Amino acid sequence: MNEMFSQEELVLPQCKYEYLDHTADVQLHSWGDSLKEAFEQCGIAMFAYMTEIETVEIKESAEIEAIGHDIESLLFHFLDELLFLFSCEPYLICSKVTITEFMCEGEEFKIKCKCYGEEFTLGKHPQGTEVKAITYSAMQIVNEPDKNRFELFVIIDI
Amino acid sequence: MVVRQYAQELEYLERLTPHSWRIKKGFQPNMNVEGIFYVNQTLEKLMFDELRNACRPGMVGGFLPGVKQIANVAALPGIVGKSVGLPDVHSGYGFAIGNMAAFDIDNPDSIVSPGGVGFDINCGVRLLRTNLMLEDVLPVKEQLAQSLFDHIPVGVGSKGIIPMNAKDLEEALEMGMDWSLREGYIWAEDKEHCEEYGRMLNADPSKVSLRAKKRGLPQLGTLGAGNHYAEIQVVEEIFDKWAASKMGIEEQGQICVMIHSGSRGFGHQVATDALVQMEKAMKRDNIETNDRQLACARISSQEGQDYLKSMAAAANFAWVNRSSMTFLSRQAFAKKFGMAPDDLDMHVIYDVSHNIAKVEEHIVDGKPKTLLVHRKGSTRAFPPHHPLIPVDYQLTGQPVLIGGTMGTCSYVLTGTEQGMLETFGSTCHGAGRALSRAKSRRNLDYTEVLRKMEYMGISIRVASPKLVMEEAPESYKNVTDVVNTCHAAGISKKAIKLRPIAVIKG
Repeated sequence: MNEMFSQEELVLPQCKYEYLDHTADVQLHSWGDSLKEAFEQCGIAMFAYMTEIETVEIKESAEIEAIGHDIESLLFHFLDELLFLFSCEPYLICSKVTITEFMCEGEEFKIKCKCYGEEFTLGKHPQGTEVKAITYSAMQIVNEPDKNRFELFVIIDI
Repeated sequence: MVVRQYAQELEYLERLTPHSWRIKKGFQPNMNVEGIFYVNQTLEKLMFDELRNACRPGMVGGFLPGVKQIANVAALPGIVGKSVGLPDVHSGYGFAIGNMAAFDIDNPDSIVSPGGVGFDINCGVRLLRTNLMLEDVLPVKEQLAQSLFDHIPVGVGSKGIIPMNAKDLEEALEMGMDWSLREGYIWAEDKEHCEEYGRMLNADPSKVSLRAKKRGLPQLGTLGAGNHYAEIQVVEEIFDKWAASKMGIEEQGQICVMIHSGSRGFGHQVATDALVQMEKAMKRDNIETNDRQLACARISSQEGQDYLKSMAAAANFAWVNRSSMTFLSRQAFAKKFGMAPDDLDMHVIYDVSHNIAKVEEHIVDGKPKTLLVHRKGSTRAFPPHHPLIPVDYQLTGQPVLIGGTMGTCSYVLTGTEQGMLETFGSTCHGAGRALSRAKSRRNLDYTEVLRKMEYMGISIRVASPKLVMEEAPESYKNVTDVVNTCHAAGISKKAIKLRPIAVIKG
């Protein structure tokens, strides 16, 4: 049984990410009009490395929660949760992630996020590259609201 | 990171022999011991280029060159001997890939570092022999490649076909290849030809997070993606006839099967979990390192012990994984040739780990010591007569399997006494990347790479087209350079060269 989604939920976001060079692995670079958007884009960037993201339809959704002790660890755990969603039940590959709660200041660093996509299916979704793990290596978070600059750099181990 | 000019940096590096360089103390802060790395002329150039690039003014972000990482490892508490860079060394996270370091267990300050093992715990290589010859296989090469590809689940998102539930997984984590044997997937003698006999006894599945188990369960018995592969290979050259015959390799043209895989999502999650735990332990115990990536904990601490027990469980997972694929390969061959795997003489020659930490006895400054040896992208290479190698190889030394990359040769080496003294019985593990994945994809052409493979007589089955460029031989250091350096430096000895005729990849 497919879930029902509103029109708004089915609209895919613009692509605001790219892949940068790293000897053994790949660096995700994402940006947006807010730090929240940069986070969402970073999540999509990771999924888009695992398959051709255009082939992913929105048929089901899942909610995740990530907690960190600083902004870097929040990003780390956010991506780790997304990777986990893909790696076992429900094997969800996502073409859209919407952060519904974003706390990135003060004592608490927390994200609640709704992830839209479908079960990864061989034959339907071309196999891209497997992501082994998220790393802190050369992680950079640009958070400059006065300049409207929000960017993330994360190396994923592949 | 110390900021110096390239010329100043070079003052800390000194050539020791035609194949090795010394890294003097002071190259990085707080070095407890010196570093050493093994290279030949070609590889030397790659190493120094990497360093020169990092010294360019205005370099921001990016990553540390391999030599710097070797030196940072030399600054870790409790390290003994030297921090060793093998010829295939390249930049990794914290530790370089192709880096080994040993820590004195009796020193209370000594540490264990998940970075010194890597995300893919007990990633390794297994070699099976057959009694088939090239001419037996050539006529059915394509079908055989397809059959292997159909038998072994490969690539991102593939699931294992060996039936498994949560209880089976618990047992497999604890028992390693004893589980595979009990379930009838392997032969009793397979265990004999495996490091640790395919089972680390200190494995404790209760120390492993539920998360890791959930990731691991569907992936047991899958090859994975990236640089992992299953290959049908043919013996191209025999350097050491006697050692080769001990391994059941009699002549050129004999067919072998090589499997390169690790602990899949299970090991990746164990490593990720440990890194998070160790960050806390470092703060609590005031452990200072030169690089935040070198997360570690004292061996004697709760975090250190928990990691070693869960790492052992991941190592067992990897052995069961390679064993399951051994089973599938034997099935594929048996079906194709209408003969039992037994009659095809499909024995395991050996199985090595190249991402692991182990407790071993070594001589340091003339005294026997118990050490925790980290090998990241480095293979154990024990000399003849070592008590931990199987009786079949007591006289030849441990077989060391060096996997090439897609389309290039692989090697079997044997361990030497000199390697035991110089590198704690360790040698290289493979080719080591030279180009970044993105660069490979930009510079290389898909059809071009495939045509080259065809020209070389290699059947290829790859799940992900992107991977074809990323894993092309041009993206890697030349494995022959790497192996020749190990041979010339005396840290291991060439026995057999193998050439691929069919490649199965994620």
